[in-house]
Amino acid sequence: MWYSLLLASVEEGAKAGESAGQAGAHHGSGPLFHLFGLEVTSEITTMWAIMAVIIVLAFLSTRNLKRVPSGLQNAMEMVLDGLHGIYSATLGEKKAWKYLPFLGSMFLFIIIANYSGLIPGAGMLPGFTPPTSNLSVTVGLAVIVFLMTHYSGMRQNGVGGYLKHFIEPVPFLLPINVLEEFVKPLSLSLRLYGNIYGEEMVLATMLVLIPMFLPISIMGLGLIFGFIQAFIFTLLTSLYISTATSGGH
Amino acid sequence: METGLIALGAAIAVALPAVFSALGQGRAAAAAMDATWRQPEAAGDIRTTLLIAMAFMEALTIFGLLIGFLLVGKF
Repeated sequence: MWYSLLLASVEEGAKAGESAGQAGAHHGSGPLFHLFGLEVTSEITTMWAIMAVIIVLAFLSTRNLKRVPSGLQNAMEMVLDGLHGIYSATLGEKKAWKYLPFLGSMFLFIIIANYSGLIPGAGMLPGFTPPTSNLSVTVGLAVIVFLMTHYSGMRQNGVGGYLKHFIEPVPFLLPINVLEEFVKPLSLSLRLYGNIYGEEMVLATMLVLIPMFLPISIMGLGLIFGFIQAFIFTLLTSLYISTATSGGH
Repeated sequence: METGLIALGAAIAVALPAVFSALGQGRAAAAAMDATWRQPEAAGDIRTTLLIAMAFMEALTIFGLLIGFLLVGKF
């Protein structure tokens, strides 16, 4: 009986692969339902599930804070210490602690979102698509990074002092500097979107070729690349924050 | 004729950035390995810098892949 279920899922995979091959760059799945007049797509419901996972994890690991941690608190402290070590290479020790809530939350969200594409049923079940495989989500994250870098630069150096650094080396570099400030979030968002969406496309195509066994190799690559993309996104964010708050050339 | 040209354009858009970025990333990896044997205690910093450099080169490849997707969607 499970064999007929298997055949049904193979057919679904074949249909998804065909439509994926024809759709090219379509965008996003259709809305599931409407809430307060806004459409709710399946990326949004998956984001709600990821938020619930992170909130439950945070709540469970800080319930009885102990001086010498053990169990879940220990694991989360190891993760946060590792992240702090990575970001202090670009930001320096003190600033890395200051920006760790922002950078750490983005890292956890992006890595869980990337890995949600590997759970069986992602992309096929209604209401479950990896959120970072949609350009709207990654552009939203990049807009948050853009606002954060300029806000922290202005808070550190004052509005005038921060705006002055655009004409710092030579004044006629102003258009290039301004253009670069817009290209940075664009490239961040396109990099993350292209990696995760490309992986989804390859998985859908491979499901058509050899249903059960061929996608395993791509899923292995997906494990590596999901972590690397989350790591790179937050590392570049910390680099941009560090150049924005460096202050006083 | 036109769909043939679109297909050819998509193929070149994916293949050309991939070839040149593979060459560039190979040079970056070779430089990182050289730096690591010269100074093994800086391996962590070298690894971080290597990953940042590779991300920039990889992004250009991904842009080519996205153009390929856009072109294939025009069929």
